[in-house]
Amino acid sequence: MPGPAQFTHLHVASSYSLRYGTATPAALAARAASLGMPALALTDRDGLYGAFKHVQACADVGIKPLLGADLAVSQGGRVTLLATGRQGWGSLCRLVSAAHAADDDVPAVTLELIAEHAAGLVVLLGPASDVGQAVAARHPDLARRALDRWRHLVPGVAVEVVDHLDHKSTFRAARLAELARDAGVPAVLSNAVRYLDPVGSLAAQVLDAARHLVPLGSPKIPPHNGRAYLAGPDDMTVVAKRVAAAMTGPGTASAAIGLLAETDELASRCMLDAAYDLGVGTHHLPETEGSAYDQYKELRDRCEHAILHGRYRTASAAGRPRGVSRLKAAQQARDRLEHELDIIARTGMAAYFLTVADVADRVRNAGIRCAIRGSGAGSFVNHLLGISAIDPLEHDLLMERFLSPIRATLPDIDLDVESARRLDAYRIIFDRYGAERTACVCMMETYRARSAIRDVAAAMSLPPDEIGAIAKAFPHIRAKHITAALTELPELRRSRLNDAQLATLFGIAQQLDGLPRHVAMHPCGVLLSDRTLLNRTAVQKSGEGFPLSQLDKDDAEIAGVIKLDVLGVRMQSAMAHTLAEIRRTTGMRIDIDAIARDDQATYAMIQRSETIGCFQIESPGQRELVKKLAPRDIADLIVDISLFRPGPVNSDMIGPFLRTRHGLAEPRYPHENLADALKETGGVVVFHEQVLRIIDVLTGCGLPEADLVRRHLSREGGPERTAPWFRAQALARGFDPVTVERVWQVVAAFGGFGFCKAHAAAFAIPVYQSAWLKRHHPAAFYAGVLTHDPGMYPKRVIIADARLSGVQVLPVDVNASSPDWMAEDQGNPSSGTDASTPATRPSPLGGPAAGRSPARKLMESSGPLQALRLPGRRPPEPAASPQAIRCSLREVKGISDAEIARIVAGQPYASLRDFWNRARVSRPVAEHLVLIGAFDSLYDIPGFPGAPNVRVEPRSPAPYPPAPYPPAPCLPAPAAPGPLSPVPLSPVPRPTRRDLLARVGVLARQSSPAREVTPALDLFTSVGPEAGDGMADLVPAGQLRELDPAERVATELEVLGFDVSRHVMSFYADLLAGLEVVSSAELPGRENGEAILVAGAKVATQTPAVRSGQRIIFASLDDAAGLVDLAFFESVQDRCAARLFGSWLLLVRGRVRRAGAGPMAVTVNGYECWDLPALEEIRVAGGMDAVRAAMAVGDVGPGTHQPLPPAAQATDVAAAGSADPAAPVTFANGFVLSPYAETGGPGGNLKHPPRNLWHASPGSTATPN
Amino acid sequence: MGRVYGEPVEVQTREDGRPTGFTWRGRRYTVTAVQEYWLVNRNWWRESSPLPARPELEFWRVEAGRPAGTYELRRDIAAGTWTLRRIAD
Repeated sequence: MPGPAQFTHLHVASSYSLRYGTATPAALAARAASLGMPALALTDRDGLYGAFKHVQACADVGIKPLLGADLAVSQGGRVTLLATGRQGWGSLCRLVSAAHAADDDVPAVTLELIAEHAAGLVVLLGPASDVGQAVAARHPDLARRALDRWRHLVPGVAVEVVDHLDHKSTFRAARLAELARDAGVPAVLSNAVRYLDPVGSLAAQVLDAARHLVPLGSPKIPPHNGRAYLAGPDDMTVVAKRVAAAMTGPGTASAAIGLLAETDELASRCMLDAAYDLGVGTHHLPETEGSAYDQYKELRDRCEHAILHGRYRTASAAGRPRGVSRLKAAQQARDRLEHELDIIARTGMAAYFLTVADVADRVRNAGIRCAIRGSGAGSFVNHLLGISAIDPLEHDLLMERFLSPIRATLPDIDLDVESARRLDAYRIIFDRYGAERTACVCMMETYRARSAIRDVAAAMSLPPDEIGAIAKAFPHIRAKHITAALTELPELRRSRLNDAQLATLFGIAQQLDGLPRHVAMHPCGVLLSDRTLLNRTAVQKSGEGFPLSQLDKDDAEIAGVIKLDVLGVRMQSAMAHTLAEIRRTTGMRIDIDAIARDDQATYAMIQRSETIGCFQIESPGQRELVKKLAPRDIADLIVDISLFRPGPVNSDMIGPFLRTRHGLAEPRYPHENLADALKETGGVVVFHEQVLRIIDVLTGCGLPEADLVRRHLSREGGPERTAPWFRAQALARGFDPVTVERVWQVVAAFGGFGFCKAHAAAFAIPVYQSAWLKRHHPAAFYAGVLTHDPGMYPKRVIIADARLSGVQVLPVDVNASSPDWMAEDQGNPSSGTDASTPATRPSPLGGPAAGRSPARKLMESSGPLQALRLPGRRPPEPAASPQAIRCSLREVKGISDAEIARIVAGQPYASLRDFWNRARVSRPVAEHLVLIGAFDSLYDIPGFPGAPNVRVEPRSPAPYPPAPYPPAPCLPAPAAPGPLSPVPLSPVPRPTRRDLLARVGVLARQSSPAREVTPALDLFTSVGPEAGDGMADLVPAGQLRELDPAERVATELEVLGFDVSRHVMSFYADLLAGLEVVSSAELPGRENGEAILVAGAKVATQTPAVRSGQRIIFASLDDAAGLVDLAFFESVQDRCAARLFGSWLLLVRGRVRRAGAGPMAVTVNGYECWDLPALEEIRVAGGMDAVRAAMAVGDVGPGTHQPLPPAAQATDVAAAGSADPAAPVTFANGFVLSPYAETGGPGGNLKHPPRNLWHASPGSTATPN
Repeated sequence: MGRVYGEPVEVQTREDGRPTGFTWRGRRYTVTAVQEYWLVNRNWWRESSPLPARPELEFWRVEAGRPAGTYELRRDIAAGTWTLRRIAD
């Protein structure tokens, strides 16, 4: 062929063709450029998810983008559509939306739909089209008819010739080309690309299997051979010649040249201009009434009105920083408003602010809690408009961090709303702006290690059990780190996963790394645009029924569409529930956003680190930090939140900060001119805002420019590129070289880490609010937290904390429980349960009492609670608010919403039969309710004494193995006379829970599936449940043994997932006493460096970023008296990691480590650990000596001697990070990040204790599984 | 469809990989024409050996011998071995 070969691929699937393509748009564009191609099309299957990534990638490598889609046609086959020009792109967006709007699950278009949207589109009819299929079936006449139909319907039609060297594919390609020639339709050549290189075909083959849910080798999967790669011009010329050589008839001599020329011609027609055709680089805001000037005027009016009426925090004395007078504050407010309005006018963003204010107003008017998050809190205009509760003048926040006249991108205003009502907030926005301007942002769920292993292993036909075991053996890491993790993580090194036969599986799984596998709704993003939105993005329906844009958050930015983040925050829901409970129980209406932010009782509680359940400050690390920092006001909370980040940890800011904070060192400033910027943090750089000021002071560049510099610093190589400019500017302004160097070191080390102070301020408000509610309305607070589960801990930890705070936890009761957790007055007769039997209400602590029970008061003064209480922990003052919480029905395993609704609607119930007939729950749910004691109050079944779930002191007689009614120390025995004991004076024999369980069985056999609603209630109420419902004749009371305490706890763990009647650790009292295990309450009294044993139920594991770059495993154990915080360093992980991740109840040997500043901050550095139930079995069988002998040998517990299945060793591994295992990430300042450190949020996945890890002790009959 | 053999054969090829002749059961066959040529990945997921760099199998459907017959030859690219798969009627 003459001249240099040139070729443009017109049919290319990227990884955004879900479970089909294997190469990212960026990789494809880069390869195309390196092959010398002038342009590249992206024609993903069924969606435009990759479109803007492709446009960006092409711009980055300097080639032209083409866009299209490969769509299924409901009449049969698939066609590829290419967009020409702006009109074509709009048609494509609408056509893809239409494909997804079809009722069918599978996106598809009809011929008629294509005809309707044909403007600007070119249809490529390839081997997969009905035309190609007819050719393959050797029906040339049918093929011709199909082709003619397309030409009739759509103006732009071309035949697409593909030859992948499959069996007969060359023959078919030649026939298709002949058909095009004979019909006078242009024929183009493509390679129907699915991967970058031939080797990618294996992963593509696996994706085909995963997509069709069949194993490899299934006839559903077409044969693969590695030819659908991004071939270069020479390879494509070979294909063209091969096809031409197979053609017969006229014109075959020039057929190859013709194919390539037509391809080139069509490619040039379809090249798109990012700015003109796709609208990249312009902002598409919702249309508003009036001109830009009117909008600006309206914004100014509203802000000035707010200032005039003093509606900003620094207008009041409480909100003003010390030393600022009212007059000065007012002057500052006016100056700041002018400054911000000037920036807004210059950026033309007035409409944007008004839009967000409108959304925030409407959300709040619907009664949904709404708070600002992020840098938007730095804007005074946001505060004046009521979007933000934070006055930037109170906390010295900068507008420039949020919006500056020299930054082209749209600013982000993020709103936090109640998680339970997030979708309500979305509906408000959609109703206001209409579906033609609004859509949710999508996000891709991608392949990670576990999911990749699962899909590859399933494709390779491994047995399902084995697949689960292998996948779960891995922590939550990137798929590309699988092989490295096998050799680097101790818990995997000891497994048998390194077998050669698994190498192929892992090899392919690694290739799937990061490929999108599922489209999901982004948790918070909503697009707001003008009415051309649907010409600029395809939309589909989300699972929740919302229009879901195929733009992700980055694409939205490129496409110039406003993205409003409306994030559902569970803590906001928890606080809303708390406030509702306070209102319901006490009548108090608290405006939580208006409370004073200086309550000393609240700060005192935070300083004691009694922060479990509070927003942001409940993790072990944060509890340690608040102990050291001892926050006294909101400013301190802002610092606390900012310090607990990788950046400050990384730059070792915490130590110097604490030293100056506690007066141990004088604040040191790199230069006296920086004192103003750094005063608030004792000379340590904590906030982004401080970096801006430092750069501004040294270089005089102004704050907007300084923000650009700061952003630049966080990029790779940014500091190196910035240094010369910074030095030159600072020297020119007269700073001496030593100072310049010193400041530069600080700025460079800070990099882009650190924290936006405005963001921290936005966080500090809910932190304070949640702590205030915990301090002053604990029962309502715990009800809120347990209902909405906002934090990192499993519910059993919250429940234990509630008890330690003096809030009683009441069990599920069919007559008293609600769908949600409720605050309850212990003696509240209105709950309906104990109207008839007030003296025998089965409170775990004895009889009823108003407010706090006498039993509790007795115990607090003399009983074990006092000893177990953390030093300094004070019960809240007796308030008018309730002191108990009632477990919700929703916690019952297997219960449906409909069942909950029926139960609540039918309350109260007179008997089990009454409940069965009217609540109409399934038999398993009825059995679960019986087993966890939901009928105890109805039938007078006593709660066990000793039930306050507090671990009985080790040296006292243990209640295990359980006798039917074991007398517990320090607590009144049930039979003892006295006001505290239940009085079993019922004339009718009392049934046991087992009796009731048997009766459920009888009822289930008696009743037809569709139970009648029997209006028989009042027949029985007069005589009591036992005599009245006739069940006693069928299953007489007292025939079956009552559940013993161990069985009760086992049942609770199974049905509820947490232990209510007593703490799970109480069953190991003998063992713990024999080993002299130290309780968490005794830890503060232990010597630094002392070797001790601790034990408890694992409630959290974390592997956060720490300064040394090691992977340190942090774990917390709940031992009934509180939490023990453990750290395991890399040197011991070989020995401990598998046990630590694999077992739930643990015994750990370690050394006490006392952190410097605070007297209370105690951690145990673990170096040995054992499975507690396994040790208990040894003790029961062979006594304490056998236990000690077993511990001396080493690891004890399930999985010790059988490394496989690996699931037993390493389930529930905490989330690990995404850095490269072979090369830990090293930051410019020498900080090394462990490749397995978590880089996401705090957590670990222990929210639900492993129900099946409850041990099966000999003699226990109820062993949940 | 003809008879299926699956026997190893010795094949002579041109530089571009196209077979020119083969020896089967002691008889030499000269390839006179290539009718078809295609590629298929091997069943790599059933194999315990590590994945080869080129997992493809090459199929050549050729006319050869006198009197002319149609033969299907398969080359395992990774191993470099040839198999006579079938003979068409």
